[in-house]
Amino acid sequence: MKNIFNSLKSIRWISGLLFLIAMILITGMANPDFLSYKNIISCFNASVVFTLLAIGISFVIMTGEIDVSIGATMGLTASIAGMIAQQDGSPVKMLLIAVVVGIAVGAANGVGVAYFGVPSLILTLGTNGIVRGLVYIVSDGKTVENYAGTFTNYGEKVAAFGITYYYAVVIAVVLITHFLLTRTAKGRHFIAVGDNNLGAELVGISVFKTKMLAYMLSGIFAAIAGVAFASKYGQVNIVAGAGYEMSAIAACVLGGISLSGGLGNTIGAAIGAVIMSSVSRMLVFIGLSSNFNNTITGVLLITIVVVDALTQKNSIEKARRKRLLQRTAHSAGSMPEPEKGGE
Amino acid sequence: MKRLRGLLKNWEVILLLLLASEFIIFTLANPKFLNPVSILSSITNYIGICIIALFVTFVMITGGIDIQAPSIIGLTSITIGVLWSDAGFNIWVAVIAAIVLSALCGALSGFFVAYCDVQPMVVTLGGSFLYSGLALLISSMSKTPAYQGISKFPMKTEAGEFVSFRFLGKGTIFGFLPMPVFIYIVLILICWFLLHKTKYGRQIFLIGVNKQAAEYSGIHTKVITMSTYILTAIGASIAGILLTSNVDSAKYDLGSTFTLSIITAVVMGGTLSTGGKGSIFGTALASLIICILRYGLPLCFGVSTQNLDLPVGAMLLAVVVGRAIMGRGLLSKYFKRNLGNKSQ
Amino acid sequence: MEKMLTVDNIHKAFGTNEVLKGVTLSLDKGDVLALIGGNGAGKSTLMKIIMGIYHADKGDIYIDGSMINVSSTSVALANGVYMVPQEPLLFPNMTVEENILIGFNESAAELHAKLDKHIEELQFDLNLQRKANTLSIAEQQLVEILKGLMREAKILILDEPTSALTIGEVQSLFRIVNDLKQKGIAIIYITHRLTEVFEIATHVAIMRDGIITANGPVSEFNREMLVNALLPPDAVHNTNNKTERKEVELDYSNLKPVLEVKDFSGYGFSDVSFDLYPGEILGVAGVVGAGRTEMARTIFGRDIVLGGKVILDGKDVTGLTTRKMLAAGVNYVPEDRYYHGIFKISSIAANTTSALLASDEIGKFKLNRKKENSIASKYAEEFRTKLVSLEDLIGSLSGGNQQKVVIGRSLSTKPKVVILDEPTRGIDAGARSDVYNIIHHLKEEGVAVLLISSDMEEVVELADRAVTVYQGRINAEFSKKDINQDNLTSAAFGIPVAKASGELA
Repeated sequence: MKNIFNSLKSIRWISGLLFLIAMILITGMANPDFLSYKNIISCFNASVVFTLLAIGISFVIMTGEIDVSIGATMGLTASIAGMIAQQDGSPVKMLLIAVVVGIAVGAANGVGVAYFGVPSLILTLGTNGIVRGLVYIVSDGKTVENYAGTFTNYGEKVAAFGITYYYAVVIAVVLITHFLLTRTAKGRHFIAVGDNNLGAELVGISVFKTKMLAYMLSGIFAAIAGVAFASKYGQVNIVAGAGYEMSAIAACVLGGISLSGGLGNTIGAAIGAVIMSSVSRMLVFIGLSSNFNNTITGVLLITIVVVDALTQKNSIEKARRKRLLQRTAHSAGSMPEPEKGGE
Repeated sequence: MKRLRGLLKNWEVILLLLLASEFIIFTLANPKFLNPVSILSSITNYIGICIIALFVTFVMITGGIDIQAPSIIGLTSITIGVLWSDAGFNIWVAVIAAIVLSALCGALSGFFVAYCDVQPMVVTLGGSFLYSGLALLISSMSKTPAYQGISKFPMKTEAGEFVSFRFLGKGTIFGFLPMPVFIYIVLILICWFLLHKTKYGRQIFLIGVNKQAAEYSGIHTKVITMSTYILTAIGASIAGILLTSNVDSAKYDLGSTFTLSIITAVVMGGTLSTGGKGSIFGTALASLIICILRYGLPLCFGVSTQNLDLPVGAMLLAVVVGRAIMGRGLLSKYFKRNLGNKSQ
Repeated sequence: MEKMLTVDNIHKAFGTNEVLKGVTLSLDKGDVLALIGGNGAGKSTLMKIIMGIYHADKGDIYIDGSMINVSSTSVALANGVYMVPQEPLLFPNMTVEENILIGFNESAAELHAKLDKHIEELQFDLNLQRKANTLSIAEQQLVEILKGLMREAKILILDEPTSALTIGEVQSLFRIVNDLKQKGIAIIYITHRLTEVFEIATHVAIMRDGIITANGPVSEFNREMLVNALLPPDAVHNTNNKTERKEVELDYSNLKPVLEVKDFSGYGFSDVSFDLYPGEILGVAGVVGAGRTEMARTIFGRDIVLGGKVILDGKDVTGLTTRKMLAAGVNYVPEDRYYHGIFKISSIAANTTSALLASDEIGKFKLNRKKENSIASKYAEEFRTKLVSLEDLIGSLSGGNQQKVVIGRSLSTKPKVVILDEPTRGIDAGARSDVYNIIHHLKEEGVAVLLISSDMEEVVELADRAVTVYQGRINAEFSKKDINQDNLTSAAFGIPVAKASGELA
């Protein structure tokens, strides 16, 4: 029993999941109407954009870096997708362009951070500004709307069990990335680099390549999230996605991904994203205005990171003390030895 | 020649040259640019960025970062508005209450950073959610709809001069200097004195250079680290007061888009994001460069005012990547040495 | 038959500091070469050259008969060299299994089979699913050894593996080393503990000041010969030298101790008692990791006190914060100058006065630059610190001059007691004699000096009285006439001082 508990404790997204369940239950207690399959599943369905963003950025965060340019990247591909949709263009084209844009932005970030060694927050703040400017240039400063065709209809189509096609794809992506990250040799490199980059270099893992790849993945996922965004909302203004990077980071932290790197997985990111996107939905059921949204997110975020930091600090300090105590305990046992030798 | 090279090594001189070249280029492109009144009012427009950047310099020198300050602008603004308009407080009491509330917000985040060793980036990210959320909640207590903003603050005399609260944001001093710019200049001097001339400032630098060694020197690293977040929150609050007074509107989301520009100003001003190095004049100059850029580009080159993130972002990248290239040799040495030390 | 590893005439200098002056060593399959030597002897540098972390200025490395240019760590790994560092470089958040298997490209099944084979052969008792950050140092070392074996290591370097192990763990480590020996793996075993040499090694090499002073099969050595080889050849000469300085033995009968440490315990040391008198230099000798630094740090308020008392001038100062200790009159020059001592990108002046910021000495609120500069230049002149301007960054100074600035800082608070922790580590000879003069000067001024050092020569040269710390406890005390390298070295390495008049605690 204790073993099960311990291994549960070591799965870091469990606390995020418990938070989510608690939130659902609390909402349910305030308003039993909420506790229907349809309502709960819609919380998940609504999290498509956040989940994609959070999965992407989680690769970067696992390596111990950060990427705040994803909001702008998402806005850029959303605008492009919207403009293609205005011509009733094909979603395949949108996705292809999105992937190219994502790789380009990611590569720029990766070179700056991993090659030039610029602090990642500052560098990606810079690319964020530039990409946001590109959004303006691409859309000519106008809101992209009035799509021709059926692009907006994809979003709400249900595949099975009330799950939309979009979310079904997202679930598949979560499972695939989780598998790749935890079950393949290369997948572990992200965590390894964030955990101990000197150690990683020593066993032959290239820190540069790993971070490069992480930024590209982050860019690609953000870009695809942009396409989903365009489809979901049917219009894209020039600030679309602004601030989403912060929500994605918050989702990762809620899902147990440590911002110092080396810990976490994409399931956590996905759970965190559901929390982030369903707070406002739940508030409606509780009867509070959605004005509480940010406050609750902020409190959740701060609580989780502070508790996490304190437990981490505590366990490191404990280990140090134990090690030092062992030294003197050792000498107590061995003290007689030299004396014996002298006699 | 040698002296010239020495001068060029001084980052503030380079910033000054940059600022001068901005003036030259913009004036050549459009002589209308050189209008003191518009230049001063453009600084007034971006006063939030300028003021907060001064204080974020303190935080970054300790090795931290503060991305919550913009949310405190909105919090201050709406607090003043609601206390004054809905609760019927005297406007100055409302102002002081808003400053105290902001300081408490800064203290909370600073406490988590300094005493719990949580990464400043995450704490202030959480703070930006929390405080902007609080601002929204406070705004929902008002009779005025949130999007409209509370207005009609105490204002003009019969003669049409701004007095009372509105004087802070709209009034002028010495006949030409807008009050916000005047206050900004005073704040620059205060911050410069604090950071470069006092024991407090010295301790901030030492903490940023080597926190361990600072503790071995008996410096209260935790108190001082926390205090920089409180100062930044107060700075943001002052910015919020000036903005509210300037546009005669108390809104909860005032200033929410400032983060990029603030960090750009501080980093471009020569502050090391790893801490230990930075200067108030550097930050002030960089803030001015950004203000002038934002004012000049639309006026002289027809760039849309909505698309000013691009040049600011490009400038930030140019500065940080440029510095990285110059320091590249040092960086690889640093890595090597660490590798050596760890496996000793 | 070809030797497994030969290093031939290796030279290495860092700047002007020659660390290795022509080192030649070789070992065969199945050899366990114990490499012993004091701190700064060059052992670590030599190992880093073999691992490809540093590059030799001169000299060759042969592995299995062929000359190898070990240009990087991966070359070393590819040639079957693996080092288990003193503080293992594991991934703290990964499980043991993940730690061992990361960095390989073979299939998981193959790797598992290989790992199981190694674990079985060596009879390791290790839960592979535990997180690395829950492992003890001993277990971390096992993981590192497994990492080496998985990479088909033929040459294994163990860097002071027992320094943090308990007796039981040491025994099981020895068993493993013996097993590896049987498997034909060549092992370089770096240690501080002479007793271990006879227990585990087949060969022994002693390094001092960048050269090998003795080398051969263990059977040809006894303890005395090891101790002699550890001592500098001019040890006797040095003792004569020392008397040239006009030195009188302190008359303790009239003195009252300024610092009394009674049954003091903390993390890393236990039941430490000693008195320190004004105008006295008390040497605290011992090897690195013996608990001396932990004790000093705890006195200075940097760690929690577990028991006992510290009394300064009759007042109980046990467990005070660093700030209060400074005010009470204790200052500490840390062992690790880089991490705890200097503010690298701050000016020399700022570095000198940093400990005065807590007092009103350099201004109440406003910083009094004039005062600051006068204090900084006073110490710079007194200590003959080589500098251009007080405004220069301390990082631009040599190690010795940096240390002078740090010592200046410790004196700026006008302390009654100064704790100097390895004050001359890593600094050149010229600066060293300057530092010694400073310490003598302090003594003349009546300051009580606690001199922590693993350089026995230094303790002999400076101390009025000395204690040795061995595994967290004081195990011997020597009065002035009994302080010699022989006695100190023996006691510091835990060998009873048979004929010396020093009494074992």
